[in-house]
Amino acid sequence: MNPAMLSLELAVIGLALAVLLIDLWTLHEFKHRLGYLAAAGLLVILVASLCCASTGEPPATGFSGMFVQDGLALFFKRIFLAAGVLVVLMGVEFRDRIPMGLGEFFTIILMELAGMMFAASANDFVMVYVAMEMMSVSFYILISFQRSRSYSLEAGVKYLILSALSAGLLVFGIALIFGTSGRTNFAVVAAEGTRLAQNKLFCLGALLVLLGLAFKISAVPMQMWAPDVYQGAPTPVTAFLAIGSKAAGFVLVLRVLFVAAPALALHWGKLFTWAAALTILYGNLCAIPQRSLKRLLGYSSIANAGYILLGVAALNPPGSVAVLYYLAGYAFTLAVIFIVLCLVARDSDDIAVLAGLNRRSPLLALALTLGMISLAGIPPLAGFFGKLLLFKAVLEQAAVHRSYLWLALVAIAGVVISYYYYFGVIRAVYWSEEGPEMTPIAVSAPLKVSMGVCIAAMFYLGLCPDAVLSAAAKAVQALRF
Amino acid sequence: MQACLFYLFAALTLLCGVLVIANPFTRNPVTSAMFLVLTIVSLAGLFVLLHAFFLAAVQILVYAGAVMVLFLFVIMLLDLKEEERRKIKAGAGVLGLAAAGGIALLMIAVIRQSNAGVGLKPASAEGSTLDLGKRLFTDYALPFELISLVLLVAMIGTVLLSKKDLK
Repeated sequence: MNPAMLSLELAVIGLALAVLLIDLWTLHEFKHRLGYLAAAGLLVILVASLCCASTGEPPATGFSGMFVQDGLALFFKRIFLAAGVLVVLMGVEFRDRIPMGLGEFFTIILMELAGMMFAASANDFVMVYVAMEMMSVSFYILISFQRSRSYSLEAGVKYLILSALSAGLLVFGIALIFGTSGRTNFAVVAAEGTRLAQNKLFCLGALLVLLGLAFKISAVPMQMWAPDVYQGAPTPVTAFLAIGSKAAGFVLVLRVLFVAAPALALHWGKLFTWAAALTILYGNLCAIPQRSLKRLLGYSSIANAGYILLGVAALNPPGSVAVLYYLAGYAFTLAVIFIVLCLVARDSDDIAVLAGLNRRSPLLALALTLGMISLAGIPPLAGFFGKLLLFKAVLEQAAVHRSYLWLALVAIAGVVISYYYYFGVIRAVYWSEEGPEMTPIAVSAPLKVSMGVCIAAMFYLGLCPDAVLSAAAKAVQALRF
Repeated sequence: MQACLFYLFAALTLLCGVLVIANPFTRNPVTSAMFLVLTIVSLAGLFVLLHAFFLAAVQILVYAGAVMVLFLFVIMLLDLKEEERRKIKAGAGVLGLAAAGGIALLMIAVIRQSNAGVGLKPASAEGSTLDLGKRLFTDYALPFELISLVLLVAMIGTVLLSKKDLK
């Protein structure tokens, strides 16, 4: 047992408790400074994780094999920490729309972040469940935080019920895995993988666990909640759902598939091709008629879950590298878009609020346009290169199995459909009739800096991807194919 | 004797479980809650047969006791009349039954095809409090401590979402 392994997580939890306590002695009008405190703290932890913390080489396990600190865990923890900084800064901007408990708002965001970081390091099905619960319980509260808005409450209740259902499936799956293998540790389960893969009951258990995780990544057939919840939740929380929760779901999918059950994953290529194809089509087709920006992003998030599933379905190392790279780019892209939404979509999030944005604030218009271009996958931004890697991984498999060829075709069709609605947003910014509201929008300095960082990151990832790619390639050494 | 008790408790669990969600005589939620208590108690009986005495005791104390009292409070605070008037749509009922039946058939087929319980190592711990405590504070120390954080978050959330004044 080595508590130093937990230093990043303990630092985040400590920061959360500190914010909770300092909140007691803070006057109401100064509470937003707690957000700056939290963001600064997270930034320090992020920098520490980049230079001081162990590199995850060699991978270290601790707490009776419950917790693993390897390259994969660290890669995702850095994404989570960066997302956490941006979400907290959005929360500061959002403060006038949170009726009460601003200090607690930041505390719960930090706790949520700690849950995601534990999920990245989970090496045991019990830890998977506990980390998932930590994330879910925090989200129940965060989503319904604007409790005077009925939308927010409705989204909270929907998320609560569907998340409880998916947690039930997950626990049932874990029970079946425990019942057939007698253990819950990933390494121990994997050691008996070939024998267990013959056992139908074990397969059912693994399938149910994956279904529970599919809820977090909003993939078909557990995608129903995403648009409603994205629309109703406070915008910073929506951003965290889209960036953090999805990435946490994917790291768990990778770990369960390629660490705990590699023998099983080999036979499940078909399952994942179907899931990926259906998710891409569902997300893209349903996004077309949307008028609400947050709903649109909800469907776009389903479609993106489908693209990322391409990398999982490829069942090869390049696929998993592409998953990691895509998630890194996706985090910055979505952060930029949600920062703009925080500032612009104040009373309604109908697409009409974007009218004349290029004259109200050229900076925001540019940021939103770049974000949409990256989501659509147009060079030279991060989204393009991520999609390219995913398609390449799938086409490599197509040389072996013909069925991957039509998966690639479906994905390309999805990308083409998505141009329509992503460019619809850009058109609303530049070429729509002037809206009723034409006052310039003031952007606070921290948000300007964070938008600049996100845009720089999008260009950096798209133009010189080598550094992140080699980090991702190191990270997936933890997986077995 | 053991087998008799097992079948008795298993049948009671299933029967009461069905009566919780589909009672032909009444649609009163309080009755459903009471049948849920019976389900939980007979489940505790099954745990006793598996020598998991502590789990059985906790099941009755926490679920049949504390959680059910909470359920009853919530039910009584709601307007029950409206629930009783509400009609179940035929289409939704058929779809729901088909889905549940499909999953049940799948489960049965899977269990029949897999030699359930074959090749398992004997349990490494009995269900006594001593073993449980040792496990909780050695192997499972990390998840156990994390649960305390989950409870803290839940507590903060409950206070926030139910506090009266919006200040």
